Amino acid sequence: MMGSNVPRILPGAPDFDVGARARQPLVVVRPPRFTPFALIAWLGRLVHYRDLLYTLTMHRVNVRYKQSVLGIAWAVLQPFTLMIIYTVIFSYIVKMPSDGAPYAIFAYAALLPWTSFSTALTTATGGVVSNANLVSKVYFPREILTLSYILSALVDLSIASVVMLGLLWYYHIALTLNALYVFPIILVMLMFATAGGLFLGALNVRIRDIGVAMPLLLQLWMYATPVVYPISALHKLPPMLRTLYQFNPMVGVVENFRRVLLQGVRPDWFSFVIATSVSLICLPLAYLYFKHKEATMADVI
Amino acid sequence: MNDLEFDNVSKRYRVQDESVAKTGMRARLRALRPTFNEFWAVRDVSFAVKHGEVLGIIGHNGAGKSTILKLISSITTPTFGEIRIFGRLAALIEVGSGFHPELTGRENVYLSGSILGMRRREITENFDRIVDFAGVRQFIDTPVKRYSSGMYVRLGFAIAAHLNPVVLLLDEVLAVGDASFQEKCLARIDELKRAGTTIVFISHDLGAVERICDRVLLMDRGTVSATGSPADVIAEYERVATTFIDAGIPAHQAAVLPRLARVSDLLILDSHGDETVALSTGDSFTIRLTYEAQEEIRDTAISLSIRAQNGDFMCEFSTSTDIPMLNLVAGEGVIEFRCSQLGLQPGKYYFDTKIRDNDWQVKCITLRVDPGVVLPGAFYMPHKVRHLPASDLAVERRAVAPRSAEAKRTLPSRVPVPAPATSKPSE
Repeated sequence: MMGSNVPRILPGAPDFDVGARARQPLVVVRPPRFTPFALIAWLGRLVHYRDLLYTLTMHRVNVRYKQSVLGIAWAVLQPFTLMIIYTVIFSYIVKMPSDGAPYAIFAYAALLPWTSFSTALTTATGGVVSNANLVSKVYFPREILTLSYILSALVDLSIASVVMLGLLWYYHIALTLNALYVFPIILVMLMFATAGGLFLGALNVRIRDIGVAMPLLLQLWMYATPVVYPISALHKLPPMLRTLYQFNPMVGVVENFRRVLLQGVRPDWFSFVIATSVSLICLPLAYLYFKHKEATMADVI
Repeated sequence: MNDLEFDNVSKRYRVQDESVAKTGMRARLRALRPTFNEFWAVRDVSFAVKHGEVLGIIGHNGAGKSTILKLISSITTPTFGEIRIFGRLAALIEVGSGFHPELTGRENVYLSGSILGMRRREITENFDRIVDFAGVRQFIDTPVKRYSSGMYVRLGFAIAAHLNPVVLLLDEVLAVGDASFQEKCLARIDELKRAGTTIVFISHDLGAVERICDRVLLMDRGTVSATGSPADVIAEYERVATTFIDAGIPAHQAAVLPRLARVSDLLILDSHGDETVALSTGDSFTIRLTYEAQEEIRDTAISLSIRAQNGDFMCEFSTSTDIPMLNLVAGEGVIEFRCSQLGLQPGKYYFDTKIRDNDWQVKCITLRVDPGVVLPGAFYMPHKVRHLPASDLAVERRAVAPRSAEAKRTLPSRVPVPAPATSKPSE
């Protein structure tokens, strides 16, 4: 046909009747809104995608051990070899007090939650970026990636705990009922690791330095946590600093993990409550930040 | 009932300005406050897709098609506006996304399936069907890094094809893969179409778009510039997209044309009489030209020149062969040019029209010629073929041979020779 009489539509004006709608949309894609209702919606969507979380976590665990000969033993290797090294250094070369327990198990009892936290945080931070191909092609709530790394670190922790039981038997240390406190302690650790993973993971997408700096950061953090030394070794510090020191949630986690297993007593409430509160405050804030950044993650990844 | 609605959607990309030099103290301090380049990929786009409708989206590279794709599949969120999807969405984009090379085919089916939104239970139920569709039963337990690219793509597609979505999003994925795979894809898409699935198809393959879609959207630099039936919008797109080299009207001639008559409309009709913008080599077609004359014009001719994309003059349709002295009536009239077999090879052509001594218009319409009869050469010459054994041919020759021996003598020379005045006229 001569001339162009193809019908045009005006920009901006929807050419359908927006008001008349017989049913509710299944999915609405819009700029993120930050209301309490939205939080419930996000959590609901997480539940909807729980299958994916399970699959991704299993996939992480499988991939790690697939083509290796040692397989699952790798989960134990990290805390175990570190324990050997620290025992050699702090038991024979330099004498480090260890709250009455043999240094080896003293160190291992702290290394167990610490390496788990360290692995969880490092992998979760790099999590979104290392799955850039998924992020840019498919939709699913991105926090699933972060959570899958946290959960696979939990799997590793479970495997490494078996060695802990072995060590307890070897050193003839009996467990009391207070040992059951390890479960809430580990839960607090996971919450804090999740908060860190979400916040740093989102930040890492734009500022890649974060992912690179993580190993260094965790190395320094380890020395700010009573992993290789007992908290009693800090009595020389002024009380102000000691209180500040306790605001590191991992202090509460590691110290109490050791206490309930090795000494068989109840956890120290002060440090435990601080650890729990800090984690409970950080988690929703980190999640909010992550959701805010999620909207444009696929654009910059 | 709409299955997909775009309501005033805009998407802005903010890309950090990387062009700033990173050396030197001052530059590094400046880099702490990064400057952003803003770019609106999609601006104020609104449209709706009805239940069961197949919508195509075409446009240049950079027009915003992939952004629309990403917005629909929630990979990115709009800066302004809302998108509403009423039903389960599946995207056949990048099949094989989510495949991890170390895992086996089986594990990847579960991984990819759950990424695409299937429940584990669903995947288990459909597992055998997926594997058989892909034809990788033998290799289902080997790591996918061992698969050939064909197997990879087939498995990815098989997973996505068993999703039974309400809304399906398709893009260039069909371009990857061999012919039999493409056939499988198209067959599956046809099945879904018949089952009433709403489909959004984003592609550069205009042939496929014309075949599958009920309605087409043309995107241009982030906005919808046209919407309508596939044929119309594709013609509009080609008109804008194709650069034709203009043969041009010589200036001195253009100036003196009285233009008492002008061509007002030009239509190409296919063999069924339907309007079309595309023909295939070897097709029969009709060109209907409508003219308007202010007064009666005697002894004129109307011609149509067909030119190729590079301006080459291909051929001409003219009234002078059949109607040597054409008289145009005052008011409106129609000229029809009928052709039994199109000889042009596939490509894009445009038409110039000329009314002798009155009007000359260039690039009136464009015609796209698709492959029909596929034979090489600059053009196709229609021909009919007969196959006979030599003995039959001898019989035929004898049947048409002249009865008199005299005539036989003059037969060998068929080329007319200027006969001397005294001899008999030859046959």
